[in-house]
Amino acid sequence: MTKLWRSVAFRLALFCGVLVIGSTAVFSAIFYFGTIRKLDQQVNQKIASITERLATNFEARGFESLQREIQSLLTDKFDVDTEIYFLVGPDGQQVVGNLSDWKETAAPFDEPINREVIRDGLPSSARLVLHKLPNGAVLIVGRDMKDLNGIATLIWHTIGFGSVSALVLAIGGTILFRYLLERRVGAIRQTVEEIEAGNLAKRIPVSGVEDEFARLSDDMNRMLDRIEHLMDGVRHVSNTIAHNVRTPLGQIRGHLDESLRAGANASRLAEAAEFSIAQVDGLTSVLDKLLQIAESESGTRRQPFKPVILREVVTTVVELYDAIAEAQGIVLTTNIEGDPKTIGDKDLLVSALANLLDNALKYGGRSVTVCVRETPEAGTVSLVVQDDGPGIPPEEQPKVIQRFYRLDQRVPGTGLGLSIVAAIAHLHEAALHLEDAGPGLLARIVLPLCVSI
Amino acid sequence: MSVRCLIIEDEADTARFICNGLKEAGYTVTWCRKSVEGLDIATSEQWDIIILDRMLPGNIDGLSIVKTLRELGKTTPVLILSALASLDERVRGLHEGGDDYLTKPFAFAELFARVEALTRRAKLSEDVGELRIADLTLDLRARKVERGGKPIPLQPREFRLLEYLVRHQDQIVTRTMLLESVWEYRFDPQTNVIDVQISRLRSKIDKGFSPPLLHTVRGAGYMVSDHD
Repeated sequence: MTKLWRSVAFRLALFCGVLVIGSTAVFSAIFYFGTIRKLDQQVNQKIASITERLATNFEARGFESLQREIQSLLTDKFDVDTEIYFLVGPDGQQVVGNLSDWKETAAPFDEPINREVIRDGLPSSARLVLHKLPNGAVLIVGRDMKDLNGIATLIWHTIGFGSVSALVLAIGGTILFRYLLERRVGAIRQTVEEIEAGNLAKRIPVSGVEDEFARLSDDMNRMLDRIEHLMDGVRHVSNTIAHNVRTPLGQIRGHLDESLRAGANASRLAEAAEFSIAQVDGLTSVLDKLLQIAESESGTRRQPFKPVILREVVTTVVELYDAIAEAQGIVLTTNIEGDPKTIGDKDLLVSALANLLDNALKYGGRSVTVCVRETPEAGTVSLVVQDDGPGIPPEEQPKVIQRFYRLDQRVPGTGLGLSIVAAIAHLHEAALHLEDAGPGLLARIVLPLCVSI
Repeated sequence: MSVRCLIIEDEADTARFICNGLKEAGYTVTWCRKSVEGLDIATSEQWDIIILDRMLPGNIDGLSIVKTLRELGKTTPVLILSALASLDERVRGLHEGGDDYLTKPFAFAELFARVEALTRRAKLSEDVGELRIADLTLDLRARKVERGGKPIPLQPREFRLLEYLVRHQDQIVTRTMLLESVWEYRFDPQTNVIDVQISRLRSKIDKGFSPPLLHTVRGAGYMVSDHD
């Protein structure tokens, strides 16, 4: 029972059932009392008006006339099934009427009473009004209540039947509702169980109906897509990290091993130590970069975002790389329109731009342009680094953002630069676009434009 | 008089490596392993520099030691060492009163350069309108450089680079120190940007003059000095 009670479907359906039965009961009560009382009042009024008419007749034309009128009422073929008239003379004897007799003497006058009587030789439940005439005679006017009682019984039956039907429907509804809900929830639970068991590719089947469950399933499927994507990323990263860490570790070990061998001289030892330090520094740098990516990707902001003047970002980075561009004979130009600001983390934006510029100088051609372009209609500002080098083939473009993916293995690097840029862009809810600049590469970070102060 | 240095570090290997290096450089070094004891010694004695591990076992961690020191009004320079490399932790470390923050693993040369910068800065932090070394003059107000009476045009960032080097003359300055101080850049750039910046600056201030002022210190960084 407690298990059943824990079912939301059961509780919901039970609640609906109780509501249906309750409202049926209230409705029936109003209907019953409304109908029966009205009919009852009509009977009483009719009896009262006839009694009054007969009494008036007696006062105007006397006892004989009254007897005749009653006689004619009894024989006029009107209301013969229900009418009751009875006249008891001043001496207590029956004068005229269709009751077998009237013996009761203590009955109250001029108010409706219910009695079991014999009418035209048949038993009858009757409503009667007794009226004492000035001459001591008693006039009894009444009505057989068979029809009215029949109607009351019919209504009672109807209500009873209706209530039972409502109850049955409520119970049936509860069961059906619970079954339907269980089927939908069951599908979700089954999928979740399979995913728990390790099948991360499993998705909740979505029916064509656009109901709450379909929406929930859609949301959950989207969440699962994201988780699977992240898991794939983690798997890919673990593999590549293993590769990228093991290689230098192996080299360090090899050099140290060699330096320990008999006959190794001091210069050999020094060389091994220097090599090892350089490799460890490289590993530390890779670790720092991975940490930076992880921090940006997890979306936990280090500090609250503030308005950042993009000119300052560009100046810092360009003034860091201008010497290297000069040394390589590359023309580095900047082009900043207006003085746009964005909301973000200045240090991270500097790092993103530095990585883009680093790539452009490393892989680009003879000229590199850094520009900042406002698009006020769209509420965005673009940070663009464009070179005239060989560019990136379109099919390679999605891959270069992956960690440790390197287009040209001959150029030294970690393969993390664009991953960092992508992660920082992601943290800023910005998009990183790589486009063909024909010739060259155009990297664009589209940031939200900050208009206030 | 030798520089008095207190090291609060629970990791024996790291501590020994720092101690040995600093002793060789002529420092007087005291090593303390526990945070409670460390805080006690840090407050009761006079130190020229305190090197502090960010994460120490026990209730008191490195940051709370710095905080307590600052609350007591002690201005002793503090260099925080930490394995927590994130920018956030760094910002926190400096915010709590640390003067510099170095993440593990680090080269001894890096640590030493920073320690030197901190201990000497404490001695010569007064603001001057002009910096001078040999026949090179930096006018800090007009942002102009002259050598041997001849003006040398420098870009704004080059001026800041030279200013930093001259302010720390006769000290080794590492690449990361330059990145952090001159460009306020806290990440490791992939290429040798600083080396190229330095060689461009050198060609401007040393080419055609004698003696050479801007020296490369192998395996450590750079130094501005008028004697070899």
